[in-house]
Amino acid sequence: MTLFEAEKIDKLFPGVRALDGVTLKLEAGSVHALLGENGAGKSTLIKVITGLYKPDGGRLLLDGQEVHFGSPHESASAGIGVVHQERNLIPGFTVGENILLQKLPTSRGLVDRATIRSEAARWLAELDLDIDPDRPVTDLSVAQAQLVEIAKALSIESRVLLLDEPTASITPNEAERLFRVVEKLKNDGRSVLFVSHKLEEVFQICDTVTVLRDGSSVLESGALADLTRDQVVDLMVGRVHEALALPPRTVPDAAPLLELSGVSTATGHVDVDLTVRPGEIVGLYGLVGAGRSELAKALLGLDRITAGEVRVRGEVVRIRNVRDALHNYKIGYVTENRKEEGVFLEQSVSRNIAVTVWDRLRKALGYVPAKAESELVAEYVEQLGIRIASPAQLAGTLSGGNQQKVSLAKWLAAKTEILIIDEPTVGIDVRTKDAFHTLIWDLAANGLAILLITSDLPEMITLADRVVVMRDHRVRGEVENDHEYEAMSQQVIRLIHAEGTAVA
Amino acid sequence: MKRSVLRFAKTTEMTLLVICVVFFVFLVIASNGDLLAANSLRVLLQFLAVPVLIGLAQMVVLAVGQLNLAVGAVGGFAAVAMGVLMADHGVPVPLALLIGFLLASLAGLVNGLLVVLTRINGFIVTLATMTVLLGVQYRLVGTRTVDAYPQGLKSFGSYAVFGVLPLIFLVALVVAGLLAVMLRRTVPGRQLLASGGNPIAARLSGISNDRSVIVAHTLSGAILGVAAILTVASSPGVNKSIGGDWLLPSFAAPIIGGALLTGGSAVVLGTVLAAFIVRFVDTARAEFSLEPSWVNFVVGTVVLGSVVLGQVRTRRQERRSVVKAPDAAVAGGVS
Repeated sequence: MTLFEAEKIDKLFPGVRALDGVTLKLEAGSVHALLGENGAGKSTLIKVITGLYKPDGGRLLLDGQEVHFGSPHESASAGIGVVHQERNLIPGFTVGENILLQKLPTSRGLVDRATIRSEAARWLAELDLDIDPDRPVTDLSVAQAQLVEIAKALSIESRVLLLDEPTASITPNEAERLFRVVEKLKNDGRSVLFVSHKLEEVFQICDTVTVLRDGSSVLESGALADLTRDQVVDLMVGRVHEALALPPRTVPDAAPLLELSGVSTATGHVDVDLTVRPGEIVGLYGLVGAGRSELAKALLGLDRITAGEVRVRGEVVRIRNVRDALHNYKIGYVTENRKEEGVFLEQSVSRNIAVTVWDRLRKALGYVPAKAESELVAEYVEQLGIRIASPAQLAGTLSGGNQQKVSLAKWLAAKTEILIIDEPTVGIDVRTKDAFHTLIWDLAANGLAILLITSDLPEMITLADRVVVMRDHRVRGEVENDHEYEAMSQQVIRLIHAEGTAVA
Repeated sequence: MKRSVLRFAKTTEMTLLVICVVFFVFLVIASNGDLLAANSLRVLLQFLAVPVLIGLAQMVVLAVGQLNLAVGAVGGFAAVAMGVLMADHGVPVPLALLIGFLLASLAGLVNGLLVVLTRINGFIVTLATMTVLLGVQYRLVGTRTVDAYPQGLKSFGSYAVFGVLPLIFLVALVVAGLLAVMLRRTVPGRQLLASGGNPIAARLSGISNDRSVIVAHTLSGAILGVAAILTVASSPGVNKSIGGDWLLPSFAAPIIGGALLTGGSAVVLGTVLAAFIVRFVDTARAEFSLEPSWVNFVVGTVVLGSVVLGQVRTRRQERRSVVKAPDAAVAGGVS
């Protein structure tokens, strides 16, 4: 029996069709998997179902009746419980209060603590959880907090439960416990949607699967029993990318400029090895949360490196911060958060580019002549093809692609030799993307050592000479890139979804 | 039960309580016991009533993750309005006080509505309403000091139970008690703290963060209304400078009390205890005939110290926990 159905859902964002006629059917007493690569539209779909986004087309059906959710409150009232990817507990509140937050019981106008305690205890017992409802949530472990959130999602008497990557941050043992809970919910006749990147889990606990790719459902409610892991991966990766024609480029046989050996960090990386040679583009691929940007941040001294060695030009170094990285080691970092960390939106393009070289341009008393700035800037505006009316134009008025170029240009102006580029083309249209790829390619051809962090598989396969695959803060493997999309993507995806948690 | 006692022992409130007791004992000894005389105690408490309330008025807005720069202006405006109504227009005392209280609450409501409707930062909104209300206050009273209001009100302001416990201090304590119950035990109170503690989670739990912001600002205004009443009752008169020195103490008390500027903490007891400590500093100054500037120096240092202490606590807590802990005090104090 179909409990809930999202039928032919469209969702448009400016310039992007995030969901294109996606259909998702959830049956009673069944666990349904929602799969797809980064950006395939899974989160968007969940937000549509929970009333955070209004769909631009299609309809939602609960028990065959059309429903409209204007807010998370309305979807919850209709019996759709959600456990979001991010932890959503209120610090300073007790476990019980958090579970019943959506409708705190009262008696005579006051919050009824006795009822909170007994009600919460009932939901916790339902999940076979031995947690005192009076405990503050700040005392809980990650896994406990996760299970408390499930209790919270159940407490609205939900029949449909959406679990968005519930195992992303818990250990395999804790995950097993979660699966037992899911099994129980299923046997109670509830319908569970399980969003996960971990295929082994999906095959273990799910009955049916819907696969999203580029905002479309490429498989709707397939029975997992009839599918193999490889088939599912094929469906996720899918389409053959129309490769961008780039001139041949060979990586000179030189000593590595940047070398990491056995690096562990305070943010959880274990034993990471990585080398980047001059003229080489090394791709660092992994799912969101694999720890790639965090590795870059540790490398730049923003997080602590607890073990292992970092060598720049063969010498063991300890980089203290970005300033140190730039001035003493000629390392630049193009951030993934362009608007927040990459450009000064309220400043002119010339200031944005010259910011790294003010020390070089300044005259007495720290005065920086505007002329020197604009001369320097002209060079990079030309080289990168930044479209501006004048160097005095404010960066905030540029298109996303041009802002990104400005964000990159400042590192070129500073004559960096090692460039870490993090998700360079997120939110950039396809044409500009190609231009950007050509640009990165040319930089490498000119001898820069480039570490490219991206979740965009086609981008990775277009540009990288080698692909290093990360998962759970560890390097899971390394692949020489032959730029054959089909074969490469399968290889990379298999590395990511490799059986088991590998080295535990 | 035992565990909650243990937990309380580790809170900021407990630390403050210990400091309060030690400080008080020190002052008693330093004054050769004079401080224990009924009259000294009465004066000590008399001047605590308003600081407690303005600290709470700020605390409740901090709890939702906002701030209120208009505390002094709202209080001063309401106090002057009451004075003028009684002295110049012969409005009966209870009615004048009620109007003043409602005006202050209305000012808070307007602050909240402006923040929610315009989406302008609360700092700017309350800076603007502060300036507007200061203008109104001056317009109402000019350079006069209004003091021609009924003796009955002044007697209320100076009356002390058993000659020791000033009535206005008891009123402040009652307000503190009501606020604590409201934040801990009522749905709007819990929702207010949820919005302050994690607005996204609150929203996903069907809580209106906008409503929480409006409730917090309105409560702040209402508390300032009470503070204004106590001020009118206990001062020889009201003029344009009433409320002018409220702003900084209003922040000092909750911050020393363990409130988080990011919201989510309800530290009623902490705020009250912090007001005590600030008062003790002032008493010590008088006792040792130090220059008044010492008070600012000490209070400033204590504010800075308690914030640093709070951060150390938070870091230690975060290392142990996955749910971002605002502060050990909050984790223990609220539950």
